[in-house]
Amino acid sequence: MVRPHDTRFRRLPIQPTISALNAINAGDKAMQQLPVCLNMSDRLVVVTGGGQTAARRAETALRAGARVRVVAEHVGDAFDDITDDPRIEIRNSALERADLDGVFVVFAASGNTADDAAVVRLAREANVMVNVADHSALGDFSIPSIIDRSPLLIAVSSSGTSPLFGRLITQRLEATIPAAFGNLTRFLGSIRDGLTQRIPDSRRRRRFLETIVDGTVADLVLSGNEERARTLLAKEADSFVSGGDTPEGEVYLVGGGPGDPDLLTFRALRLMQRADVVVYDRLIGSPILELVRPDAERIYVGKKRNQHALPQDEISRLLVRLARDGKRVLRLKGGDPFIFGRGGEEIELLASEGIPFQIVPGITAASGCSSFAGIPLTHRDHAQACIFVTGHTKTGRLSSDWATVLQPNQTVVVYMGLAVLGDLMRDFIANGADPSLPVAIIENGTRPNQKVATGTLSDIASITEAAGITGPALIIIGTVVTLREKLAWFNQPAPKDAAATAALSSETGGLAAASAPDVPVEGAAVR
Amino acid sequence: MKMPGRVYLVGAGPGDPELLTLKAANLLAVADVIVFDRLVSPEILAFANPQARRIPVGKEPRRHPVPQSEINRILVREARAGHLVVRLKGGDPFVFGRGSEEALALRAAGLRCDVVPGITAAQGCAAATGVPLTHRGLATSVRFITGHCRADEPLDFDWDGLADPATTLVIYMGAANIAEIATRLQGHGRDPDTPVMAINNGTRPDERRLVSRLADIAITAADASFAGPVVFIVGDVVALYGDSHMSPALQSALATANDVSREAAPYA
Ligand SMILES: C[S@@+](CC[C@H](N)C(=O)[O-])C[C@H]1O[C@@H](n2cnc3c(N)ncnc32)[C@H](O)[C@@H]1O
Ligand SMILES: C[S@@+](CC[C@H](N)C(=O)[O-])C[C@H]1O[C@@H](n2cnc3c(N)ncnc32)[C@H](O)[C@@H]1O
Repeated sequence: MVRPHDTRFRRLPIQPTISALNAINAGDKAMQQLPVCLNMSDRLVVVTGGGQTAARRAETALRAGARVRVVAEHVGDAFDDITDDPRIEIRNSALERADLDGVFVVFAASGNTADDAAVVRLAREANVMVNVADHSALGDFSIPSIIDRSPLLIAVSSSGTSPLFGRLITQRLEATIPAAFGNLTRFLGSIRDGLTQRIPDSRRRRRFLETIVDGTVADLVLSGNEERARTLLAKEADSFVSGGDTPEGEVYLVGGGPGDPDLLTFRALRLMQRADVVVYDRLIGSPILELVRPDAERIYVGKKRNQHALPQDEISRLLVRLARDGKRVLRLKGGDPFIFGRGGEEIELLASEGIPFQIVPGITAASGCSSFAGIPLTHRDHAQACIFVTGHTKTGRLSSDWATVLQPNQTVVVYMGLAVLGDLMRDFIANGADPSLPVAIIENGTRPNQKVATGTLSDIASITEAAGITGPALIIIGTVVTLREKLAWFNQPAPKDAAATAALSSETGGLAAASAPDVPVEGAAVR
Repeated sequence: MKMPGRVYLVGAGPGDPELLTLKAANLLAVADVIVFDRLVSPEILAFANPQARRIPVGKEPRRHPVPQSEINRILVREARAGHLVVRLKGGDPFVFGRGSEEALALRAAGLRCDVVPGITAAQGCAAATGVPLTHRGLATSVRFITGHCRADEPLDFDWDGLADPATTLVIYMGAANIAEIATRLQGHGRDPDTPVMAINNGTRPDERRLVSRLADIAITAADASFAGPVVFIVGDVVALYGDSHMSPALQSALATANDVSREAAPYA
């Protein structure tokens, strides 16, 4: 049994779930397999092999209601628990073509690759789907790890890439899915037809179901009080149905962070899964967008080729209109909505139109880049203050005057400054900043393709250009930049534990892809 | 020989457990050792691996804080013992948290230290109150300062630069020195009518807010006798905090969250 606290997992380079899974698929964005759930009831399956693995396969098939024919020259003790089951038939011989007559699927589980390959050949001849334990690529499908809260089933698959990792994730999920969820699922199944009649509109029905699942009705079911749950449900459905034609819409103004999907907050993820429609712009990358409820409508309001972005007041009006239609609208923004995100402007209109809204902060680019580049924004000996400003494409100026920006012991972070980097750096010097003041440019901060260039006010512009940095990028100015030399960690080889990492990544196959090779663009040494 | 473990310097956000990042939660779930501050709420520690050893190092009221050098030693010791160590800090680890000092100590000991950013207190408080930190026409920049200084040293700022009306000023650790800060800011030209909001225990169930103006904030804050962390947001954006700009949902949230008299505050 693999537990999260097995020593094997101790020193995993933990790129927790989402980025690891994305990384596995990085080269190949298409799904590698299609998960399905088979109806096994009363169907005949064949399991070949007499050992532990074969016994587990037979057991799972029996649990799913199948009849099982075990074909193996020798059937071991591992089968002792299940040989009494009347649905099991044992044939003590090697598999023959005739064993496959009328068979739905075959599980090759002898543990011997040559034997399994022979089974695959026979199965192919007989046109029967076959699975090969531990070598799913040899056969037609893989078997996921399962969390069984029947009728609720949660299957976790690594598409055969790293079954061990799949099991690790299953283990973590196990603890978070209450045992009584099976009852709740059954209960919800029993009210499904009635509910479809009462609330024919699927969007409204979904919303009603959500309030049920988060509310007292579910609590009653989970604590075994189905009778009272049914009474309460009827009451709540009545008041929901009589509560007007369109449900009340609302807007979630959500910060999506700097790009790494693991940096989303729980609340952001929850609202992303709840929204009926998502309104997003350029800074939202696909790894984050993929986490929005798949059937939510998507509206892109950023810049398109040959076209400007939708003007801010039109975006605000769009949000109002969608919410008025009764939709739950996710306004997903890069970073934090209240830091150069124009979130304030959007809620002004919502508020004056009386539309309910929620604001969810996100990791702002400055924090994401600071952490992932190893450049603290404050440090006792370097900076007791930090200012976030923007660069202006038109004027080439900063959003604050020089007395404000050029303070001792203050880190300056410039958003949207890359396009005017050269002018900006010259202005800093012209207004009295030390030309040797350290500067870092972080492009695609927190993303696998993060690039960091460091230099000084006088040379960073040419270093950045030579590095081919095009943005989105953040500028950090101040002596804290010198700390990167010691604190850089992301995409860096770590000499001391490199060996451990290598050993583990071969064991878990694929997870190693989570730490892509570095793209360091260190310029002139930082002084 | 034991393989050295690994330390993750992790931001826990301002307190609301839903503002934890997925990455932070996943690391907590697999940690062997968790070294945490007083600012980290118990709801967040509930995400931790139940078998993990918990080492509190924060300041407790009326207790001596664990000195920084001792915290550094603990981190190095646990990592050398081969553990997966999560160093959990309030807000963002690289904003006024001395997180960088801990990371440097680990690197000096030849250990690896990964950093996971968090929602800093100012962001949590801004989102909770509906007051943006930057806003067209009101604030083109935002500045974060600490109101805390080393013992016996004066607050060391270029006060003229701090007086810019178009820069939202966020003061961390400012409760003790807010009177001096407010006076200095006015002395260097910041309008005494500039709205100020104090948020205490922002994003937590016991959140309290107070809206005042620069001339009065020292007294109103003293009257409120806050317990727990406070940030001050100084600037015209605070004027957006008001009924005309609040959704009904937000208003009802405010009505329950705000126990500080709104009548007493000119900008409420
Ligand atoms: C319109 S601002 C939005 C800022 C956002 N609201 C936030 O809090 O991060 C866009 C700017 O954010 C910065 N930015 C956003 N994501 C970034 C990333 N992953 N790496 C570097 N800079 C980023 C760039 O300076 C970019 O020009
Ligand atoms: C040592 S600093 C740490 C800041 C932290 N690293 C961050 O990014 O938020 C502690 C200060 O943060 C502020 N703070 C932290 N959490 C807060 C909260 N929930 N509400 C209000 N202020 C908070 C207070 O100003 C407090 O004095």
